[in-house]
Amino acid sequence: MQIRRSLLGLIVGASALAGLSPAAFAGEFDGVTVNILTRPGYVIAGRLMERGVEFEAATGGRIVVTEVPFAEIFPKIQNDWSTGTNSIDVGVFAAGWGVELDAAGLLEDLDPYIAKDDKIDLDDIAPYFREFGQKVGGKTKLLMVDGDFQMVYYRKDVLDNAGLEPPKTWEDYLDIASKIHGQDMNDDGVADFGSCIFKKRNAQSYFAIQTFAAPIVQTHGTAQGFHFDNSTMKPLINNDGWKKAFELYKETGKYGPPEELNMDIGDTRAIFKAGRCGLLVEWGDPGPLQLDDDATAIKGLLYAVSALGSMEVLDRATGKLVPVTSENAPHSVDGINYAPFAAFGGWAGAINKNATQKKKDAAYAFLSYMSQAAQSSVDVTIGATGYNPYRLSQLASPDLFVEAGMPLELAVNYIGAINEALNSLNMASDMKIPGASNYTGVVLDTELARYLAGEITVEEALENIEAGWEEITEDFGRDEQIEYQRLALGSGN
Amino acid sequence: MAGSSQRESWGEWVDRHSGTFFIAPAVTLILIFAIFPTIYSMFFAMSRVRFTGDGLKFRFVGFRNFSKQFFGTDQVHFLGRTEPVSILAMIIFAVIVVSVLVWLYRSRKIATWVGMLGRTVSASMAIFLTWVLCASLLSGNSIGTLYTTLFYVLVGCGIQFVIGTGLAFICSQPIHGKNFFRVIFFIPLMVTPLGVGYAMKMIADITKGPFEPLLRLFGIENWVWSADAWSARLVMVVGDSWQWIPFIFICMLAALENVPQDHVEAAQVDGASSMQIFREITWPQVVPVAVTVLLIRAVEAFKIVDLPNIMTGGGPGTATESMTLHSLFVWRANDMGTSAAIGYLLLILTVIVCASFFNYVVLGRLRRTKA
Amino acid sequence: MSDASFKFEKSGRSLMERLFEPPAIGKMSLVAKIVAYSLLAIWSVFVLFPIYWVIITSFKDAAAVNQGPFYIPFFDFQPNLDAWRAQFNIDRFCDLTSILRQVYLLVHNSFVFVVSPVISLNPMELQICKIYLAFTNSVVISVVSTTLCVAVGSMAAYALARVQYKPKFGNILVFVALLVLVIVATTYAGVPWWASSTVALAMFFFLVRSVGRYFKMRLGNNDILFWIISQRILPPIVVVIPVYVMFQAVGLLDTHLALIILYAVANLPIVVWLMHDFFANVPIELEESAQLDGATRFGIFWGIVLPLTRPGLAATTLLILVLNWNEYLFAVFIATVKVQTMPIMVAAKNAGEKGVFWWEMSAIIVVMIIPVIIMSILLTKFISKGVLQGAMKG
Repeated sequence: MQIRRSLLGLIVGASALAGLSPAAFAGEFDGVTVNILTRPGYVIAGRLMERGVEFEAATGGRIVVTEVPFAEIFPKIQNDWSTGTNSIDVGVFAAGWGVELDAAGLLEDLDPYIAKDDKIDLDDIAPYFREFGQKVGGKTKLLMVDGDFQMVYYRKDVLDNAGLEPPKTWEDYLDIASKIHGQDMNDDGVADFGSCIFKKRNAQSYFAIQTFAAPIVQTHGTAQGFHFDNSTMKPLINNDGWKKAFELYKETGKYGPPEELNMDIGDTRAIFKAGRCGLLVEWGDPGPLQLDDDATAIKGLLYAVSALGSMEVLDRATGKLVPVTSENAPHSVDGINYAPFAAFGGWAGAINKNATQKKKDAAYAFLSYMSQAAQSSVDVTIGATGYNPYRLSQLASPDLFVEAGMPLELAVNYIGAINEALNSLNMASDMKIPGASNYTGVVLDTELARYLAGEITVEEALENIEAGWEEITEDFGRDEQIEYQRLALGSGN
Repeated sequence: MAGSSQRESWGEWVDRHSGTFFIAPAVTLILIFAIFPTIYSMFFAMSRVRFTGDGLKFRFVGFRNFSKQFFGTDQVHFLGRTEPVSILAMIIFAVIVVSVLVWLYRSRKIATWVGMLGRTVSASMAIFLTWVLCASLLSGNSIGTLYTTLFYVLVGCGIQFVIGTGLAFICSQPIHGKNFFRVIFFIPLMVTPLGVGYAMKMIADITKGPFEPLLRLFGIENWVWSADAWSARLVMVVGDSWQWIPFIFICMLAALENVPQDHVEAAQVDGASSMQIFREITWPQVVPVAVTVLLIRAVEAFKIVDLPNIMTGGGPGTATESMTLHSLFVWRANDMGTSAAIGYLLLILTVIVCASFFNYVVLGRLRRTKA
Repeated sequence: MSDASFKFEKSGRSLMERLFEPPAIGKMSLVAKIVAYSLLAIWSVFVLFPIYWVIITSFKDAAAVNQGPFYIPFFDFQPNLDAWRAQFNIDRFCDLTSILRQVYLLVHNSFVFVVSPVISLNPMELQICKIYLAFTNSVVISVVSTTLCVAVGSMAAYALARVQYKPKFGNILVFVALLVLVIVATTYAGVPWWASSTVALAMFFFLVRSVGRYFKMRLGNNDILFWIISQRILPPIVVVIPVYVMFQAVGLLDTHLALIILYAVANLPIVVWLMHDFFANVPIELEESAQLDGATRFGIFWGIVLPLTRPGLAATTLLILVLNWNEYLFAVFIATVKVQTMPIMVAAKNAGEKGVFWWEMSAIIVVMIIPVIIMSILLTKFISKGVLQGAMKG
């Protein structure tokens, strides 16, 4: 009894003391912990953790990053915030997914914070990302930390040796791939691959297919979109345009690695860094990634093309393909219609409206810190972070990347490709309506995977996607979706 | 009203009702967390469910989530491709249907009306499953998640049973180091399925796995097991067997060790060969345990989800998706209604198949052994 | 061997007999021995090889993994601690002093929780070293839920072995019907759940008194036992979504308590099934004599029966502990941030787009399986003497 009592007293005393433990410094956000949920790192999450350490040293606010599989990010955040569990304070995910959360009133409005923030320099963010990515319904609800759209990369040395020009259309892509497939591209005596695309299900394959489809289906500018008939929200998927995209996509598999169907972006990055791919469909990362230590085989050799186009476009009235003319494709160049696809829209952070005010302040301060040019311009030059350029200051001149180690010619090509895409009037937006992750990440992705595996024909796949999309539209209410689509694509605000 | 007697009567009252108090916690927990959710799940399965700002909204749609799996857009995903049907398949189907109906007819005389009801349910399930099998696999078409699950259960359990019993038989012989083998063979059962999946994925890798020199020897180093539906499923079965054969091994070993040795030795003295001894003496004694073990293993096998999730993420296309994994993916898409519906279909399948097996095989065996 | 024929004649057995027939009762022939040992050896390799591979992979670096398979440490490749260091370095909260501080915080927070009805202290936020958090969560949840499960389950099993239950079938039907009505009212008609439940409870007692009298059919112990054990057939995926909604309604999402309860319920059937046989095998005379001496049922249970069934109890506990340690499905639905367990961490890292970072994954898997292997070695001591075989007779 005696011992128990003294032990009890000891514990009470110790706890009281611990509760009073002085902070090492008196920071602005002392004792505040911000919980961030995002995809598994090192990509995206790793940098958040590292910058979080700096942030804590400066302000005392602790940043905790929780990683969940990519396919679970959106359901987990949605469940957590809409059920009132509120374990998560900040979600870092695709800019387009914010619309659905905002529709349920779950996102904190960031305009008041921005008004008080003098370091964020909002005008420096490229207009496309600033208006389309960060704003929902005219108010800023997200802060970009990364700007995304897909480009095509080619091994300059391999193409030069084969006497081939960089591709302009997807037919060119297939042609080149077939000609270079089987060559040894990294001097290791083993045959390499013409084209490498991440075709794994539940990964990123559903972005690549949209890069193929956008130039065929979208002709009249960003506001037209290429997923739905905007006035009725009927899916625009069961037609010859998307069919051609699916078939082209499957054909690239002939010139790719044998396990391509099981490769996600981590696997394809591993092999193209080892120098085994002649052509790539990727985001902005391969540009700086080729400067990494384990990419010596390709350093300075991976050049970018902002987008590949199509010589045929979809006639929406008939559902058939017609050759490009200046009437049906006003943005076409030399008979080829281009539509760079802003796949994913870019990683952005959104703040939980129902978190405590202290947490929201700290969360905004951290997101702003990540987004400020001082930090961002360093992060986008390091390929492994997964952050790609989105600020005008990063894209104005190639100096930033030359300093990071890129040869001047390559830096000019890289920046040029990104700028060309950003300035394109026919840039294709990723879906930004409620259910976006569902329409593309689940329905489109599943049917695409089954088609690639030979389980179903392309007609069946497109029919299934159409039926699946209709079901989701019915769930959310067709009229509401029409309105959201108008907001997403119309003026962007 | 003295203090001590009051305390006694309270204690006595508790003791008198101790039966209730002992069993109440278990029953309450099961009612709240198993029975109630199962019934509640039915309402999910019959609605479209959405998360809104203030809670869940249910929109009643009847059986649409179910009919989607059988007749609608998800039919090929769930059942497999069911046309064209080949002649051979139709013949096999006809034969099996006739035998099931004959069995049903014959049972008229020996079963009560409840029993007949049960048999009719089993017969209908058998006919349905046979139709799906004939229309899909036996006609050369692809199968869906329903039959992938059944493949894992039937083929997986079969292989595991044969190998497990074989190992148990060997270990029940007079050999040295029995306990050593027992310990070693028991380990896989305890490893987390996720770990097993990942270990198998590493080992089965073509370019970096330990079998790479072997594959190169056979000249098949470019073959990717994960790109072909059936090889992927087979690898799943291998991984699952690695984990679960120990279970069968332990149980069958216990059963074999229970066989009274004097019978065996008497037979040996009489000059019977080992085969005869096994067939006549050992096997009949262990059959009750064997069918029970098989039933338990089958019940667990229906729930397989970790292995396909980790190793192939559902396989090339949807080839290695079990029904639980199918339901999990659909849940991730925030379609809780369909997810609950698929869960229910799995429940119905498991209950009918296992109950049928239990009633006609296990109890049948037990009755025959007692006779 | 030159005198072989002479030897054969001497012993009276032909060469074939020597090879294939046992030399004596209770022994094995030569061929049989060779076949048996080789099969066992092959299977042992099959069992141990994956574990060995995972362990050595955790000691490889990037080059050793990517340049093809290397089999033997120190011989084929140089082992290094890259993977292990990576696990404990990603956040800076993973060095020894931080971990010690976190242990202290855990104790402090448990203490706060325990005294919270009386004194109100502030719990301190745990710093997060991820693998440590996942490990601690797994340990805490497994241990507590196993204790709960074995306690509740053995009590129920004992009762089913000793007490005769005769619940009325009619009452059960009434109960289920009212349950369905409550659900319909709450989800579709929007009636708050406490209102409909209270009404349903009142109706239940009323109906049982009046209508229940007309249904005389009763169920027995075996039916209850069968019902409990058959819960194992229920696929967790059916239960998970409603349970998620239930926990959300009471604010228990992403808490340890939720997972503890769920794991206990999921494994209850196994405990009841295993322990029922052990309890049935305890000679009833011991208990009857204790009863004559005036012991209460709980006293008999705790003081006489449990000590007698200690090996079975230990075996069951270890089995349930391992099952809880490995559980993934419930955790993935209920846990978001605070209650991530080790299987979730494994799954999350597996989905990471780092490409082939096998050595790090192997390190995590080794952390997961080493405790389990130790536990399973302990468990086989109980299995060896046929402790679990009694259950098979059921």
